[in-house]
Parts: sequence; C-alpha cells; structure tokens
Amino acid sequence: MGTFIQLVIDGLSTGSIYAALALAIVLVNQATGLINFAQGGMAVLSAYVAWALNGLGIPLLLAILAAVVISFFLGAVIERYLIRRFERGDPDTAVVVTIGLLTLITGFCAWIWTYNNRLFPSLFPLETIQIAGAVISVRSLGTFIVIVACMLLLQALFLGTKLGLALRAVAINPASAAFSGVNVGRNLMIGWGLAAVLGAVAGVLVAPQLTLTPGMMDSALVYALAACILGGLSSPIGVVVAAWLIGVLENLAAVYVPFIGHDLKIAVPFILIFVVLFLRPQGLFGRKAVVRV
Amino acid sequence: MAANTDLSHRSPLLERPWVRWAVIGLVIVLMIVLPLMLPEFANQTIARIGVFAVAVLGLNVVMGYTGQVSLGQIFFVGVGAYVTAFGVNADWNILLVFVLACLVPAVIGLVIALAAARLGGLAIAMVTIALPIIGVPLAKRLSDFTGGSQGTSARFSDAPEWTGLYDDQWQLYIVFLIGGITFMLTRNLVRGKYGRAFAIVKGNEAVAGSLGVSPYRFKVLAFTIASLIGGVSGFLYMVVIQYTSPETLHFGHSIELLASMVIGGAGSILGSLLGGVWYVLLPQVTNLIDPNITAMLQGAILLVVLFILPGGLVSLPSLWRRRGRDAGSGRPGGPVGGAMQADAAASVAGASTVGDALGAPSTQPPPPTTQSPPPSTTQS
Repeated sequence: MGTFIQLVIDGLSTGSIYAALALAIVLVNQATGLINFAQGGMAVLSAYVAWALNGLGIPLLLAILAAVVISFFLGAVIERYLIRRFERGDPDTAVVVTIGLLTLITGFCAWIWTYNNRLFPSLFPLETIQIAGAVISVRSLGTFIVIVACMLLLQALFLGTKLGLALRAVAINPASAAFSGVNVGRNLMIGWGLAAVLGAVAGVLVAPQLTLTPGMMDSALVYALAACILGGLSSPIGVVVAAWLIGVLENLAAVYVPFIGHDLKIAVPFILIFVVLFLRPQGLFGRKAVVRV
Repeated sequence: MAANTDLSHRSPLLERPWVRWAVIGLVIVLMIVLPLMLPEFANQTIARIGVFAVAVLGLNVVMGYTGQVSLGQIFFVGVGAYVTAFGVNADWNILLVFVLACLVPAVIGLVIALAAARLGGLAIAMVTIALPIIGVPLAKRLSDFTGGSQGTSARFSDAPEWTGLYDDQWQLYIVFLIGGITFMLTRNLVRGKYGRAFAIVKGNEAVAGSLGVSPYRFKVLAFTIASLIGGVSGFLYMVVIQYTSPETLHFGHSIELLASMVIGGAGSILGSLLGGVWYVLLPQVTNLIDPNITAMLQGAILLVVLFILPGGLVSLPSLWRRRGRDAGSGRPGGPVGGAMQADAAASVAGASTVGDALGAPSTQPPPPTTQSPPPSTTQS
C-alpha cells in the first residue's frame, strides 16, 4: 500500500510538469489556433536563464522570478515578430515554423551551455516525509502544490479580470473582439507571454530532477501533447486532469505491469488516448465541434 | 490539385509535348551517365537524397495531398529497413524481401489508419506521434528481430562482379530505378481520380461525403499508401546505408521529414524531391559552416526559408514571376502557401482537415493569381 501511495503521489508530481506544459500549449492553441512544438524548448531556455542568473550570485528564488519575467517578454516577442506572419496562413507551415523555432532554441542552448548535464538547485529541500507508510519527497509535493497554485491563478486571471475577458474574447473570435475595440495583437502577445511563463515554471521545477540539458523537456512535451489530446484542446481543466492521469497511470503501469517496465511506459498515455478517443473523439472534457456544410 | 499546382508553375514552353519528352529523355540519360562520372561521395549523397525523397513523397501523399498530419512517417521507413535487414540475413530471395519490406509497413499502416482515421483531426497526429516514440524502445526490446540497441546490418547491395561497377554506382542505380518508379506511380496516383478524391477530402470532409467520396475510405487509403512508400524508402535505406538501429526510428527524424516536406512544398511531387535534397544537404551545409552551431543554424535557415517562401521551395518560380509582375508595387512575399491550399479547396468552402485538426480558423487563402495585396495578418 505504501508503494502504491508513493507511486500515485510521484505520478501526480511528474503529471504536474506535463500539466504546466500542456496548459501552455492549450493557451497558445486557443489564442492562435496552432500547436507550439517549441513550448518545451522555450521552457528549457527559461530554466537555463534562471540557472545562469543563479550562477551570477543572484538568490535562486529571485533568479527564477527574473527568468519568468524574461520568458514573458520572450514569448511576446516571438509571437509578434515570428508567429504572427504565419498565424492565419497554411497550418502545416505554421507547425513547421514552431518546429524550426524548437530546433533554433535547442541549438542555441547547446551552443551557449553545451550538451553537458548541469546541476540545477532545487527550490525545495531534499527531505522526505512519511504519509500513510509511503516515503514522499518534499520536492514531489512542492512541485504539485506550485502547479496547482499556478492553475488557480490562471483561472482567476481568466474569469476574474478584464484582461482575462479580453484574452478569452480574442481566443473565441478575434474578428468580433477587434470590432468591440479589443486590441487583438496585444492580447495574442500576452497569451504567448503567459504560455512562456507556464513553460518557465515547468522548466525550473523539472530541472533539478532531470538535470539541465538542451533536450530536457523533449519527452515532457510529448506527454503534454498527449494530455492535450486526452483532455481536449478546448478545456484547460481537462488537460490538467489528463496530465495527472497520465503521470499516475504510467508510474503504476511501469511497476505493476511486467511487460511494460520502465522503457515502454511512454506507451501508456497513447494506449489510453486510443481507448478514450474511440469512445469520445473530442477528448475527455472537450466540446464536440459542430460541422456545417 | 497537383495538376493545378504544377501547371501554375510551368512556363508555356514546357507545356509542349516534345519539350516534355526531351526533358524526360535528358533526365533519364543523366541518371544513367551521372553515376559513372561523379566521385564516390557525390554518388552516395545523391543516393541518400533518393532514399529520403521517397520518404518525403510518402508523407506528402498522406499530409500534402490528403491533409492528415502525420508525425510517424519515419516509423514506416524504419520498419521497412528492419524487415529488409531481417530478410537479407535470413537469406531470403531479395525480390521477396523487397515485397515484404513494402507490405509489412503497409499492413501496419492499414491497421493503424483503420483506427486512427475514424478519430479524425489531431487524433491522427497523436497516434502517429506515438509510433516513433514507442518504436524506439520496442525496437530495443525485440532484440531477436532487430539486434537490440546494437542495431543490425545487411550487406546485399554490393555491385555484382559482372557489372564492373563500383558499389556506390550500383547502389545509386538501384535507388534511381526503384525511387524513379515510386515517384512515377505516385505522380499518376495523385493526378488521377484518387488524387482528386484526396483533394476533396482535404478540402472539406462533409462535402466529400455529400459527393459520394467516403472521407474515411480515402484517408485510410492515403495513410496505407504513405506507409507502403515509407517501406520502399526503408528498403532503399538498407541499400544505401546497409545498417539500421533504433536510432533510425528517432522522433527527431520524423520531425525533420515533416519540415523537409513543407520546405520542399506540400502537395507537390517536385517538392518531395526538393524535400529529400533539403533533408540530406542541410546538415552537411550547416556542418561545413560551423559544426558547433549546426542545430541552431538549421532552425534559423528553416525559419528564414519559410519567411520568404511559406509555400516551400517549389513556389520559388511563382514568387519570381510575381516579383517581376508586381515590380515596384507592394510586398512580393504574401502567403504564397495559399497556392498549395487554395486550389485544393477552391471549389469547396471551409477549412482543410489539417486546419480543423490544429484548430485553425477557417480562412480561405486567396488564389495565387489575385493582384490585390494579401490579407494583412502581419501588421496590427
């Protein structure tokens, strides 16, 4: 039983990382209608920035906050000067643009900081606590709590502020929003900036665990994409729940299903997707799109 | 749609039958003579280009022509390569090996498509993203068949004694022969009635249904054909590279194939060839410039090319003409990519399948010939 609880909580912790990245992807998708494959790369860059600032002697928490702010502006600038040109064009091209961006950012990180693994200090102490016979690291618990706090903040922003209302208006119908006097371009930039911030949070949370490398977020991105599909791209809460589900199930499957083991556990979310999408093609929480001729 | 696209790029001279036959004859003569004249390195590079041009061609059938995002093409290339290696090492007849290298990926593709095409949209992208990601650990696990992480090699494409050719020349001939036939067959397919059906499915599934074209059937068909062509590419991969490992299946390669397809030109036969050239030459060029920043340069070049040519390299001639026509007035760029999409969906209102898949708004790109400036998406 102790192992089981431990697996579940660790699963929720890694699932939270996927959730943060998945939320960033949903945010961008809702605003601009494209899937940003560079989201993981941007998160890695943010983590490197925090690491570099910390290396300059700035306290960790302050370095992370600075990296978060820088990420916001970086995301906004990328939207304004790169993505905007492709936003309403051929979607295939837009997807490849984000892939090019991913290659560029990963290459940049590798050029500046090499492919060597860097130790990233953890925000949380390396202690463990006992809950119902399970040994749980404070880091796992902390990761989970930070992500939940981010989600609640985001939810409050979207539902409780004027900015959130404008962002939602732009996401739902940019043309109508523009007619009502909403500055669509500026809101798209803010949307991308917020997505980059979420990525940055995910980056600094996962970096102590995986050690910092340019390809650190690659598999997390795949899991996040899986969570997006499973949860339905139109539902922020859906993708978070899906991300947790994936994190927990793959942890359990790796231990309790002998054939899957540690190397094949990445297959778990996709088997799950296959089953779920067969029953509910719009995702667990997604809205069904109505097709009109 | 291919016919339309290619016509718009063709100059009047090329439309005359005798010119076309002369060009085809010239290409065939070049394909026979060049391998004998070029140095070994050039022959090997051209052979590699052939291998990946075929892989991009397959991706184009499912994505460029039918509008289903596929991130798993490299998986089928890998399966084709593994089947070839296994067959060769088991001493099977090489023709049988070739047929199996095509059929096994095609059958796997068919099974996956039967399930995935029903889901539609992004689900296909997700199911296909899973293929290389699950493929790598699976290839390591099934070590009896694949040689595990060590990989497996198969030497069967050395030049026979009687030809008096060098290995690289012989291999290039094989690539030209098999790749050439694959390109010709695919070209006929996408220009015929199947190609039109693909274009309608890409344009709007609901309309396709009302025209009596089953979107499901044609999506499955396109995916299966793409897998089969992937298998052909896998066979050629073993002809040229003679070694495969789980690394062959790596997800990054799938992404690079996708990028190459768009850079070459989605929904274009010539674009597939250019995509293969891009896939093979870009890393070589960036390595030549500065090995330390290869990845960064690749990303940067990719973005710059798409910035100037959103429709891919194949739209270069039309950009040229447009620039000549609009000399001095307005921006020459604009969404040239519209050319690719517009003709597919010109008669059909609504977003493309890919558009739906990625949640893109259903805007119609302007037809390529309009003089009016493109909709101002860039300035705010």
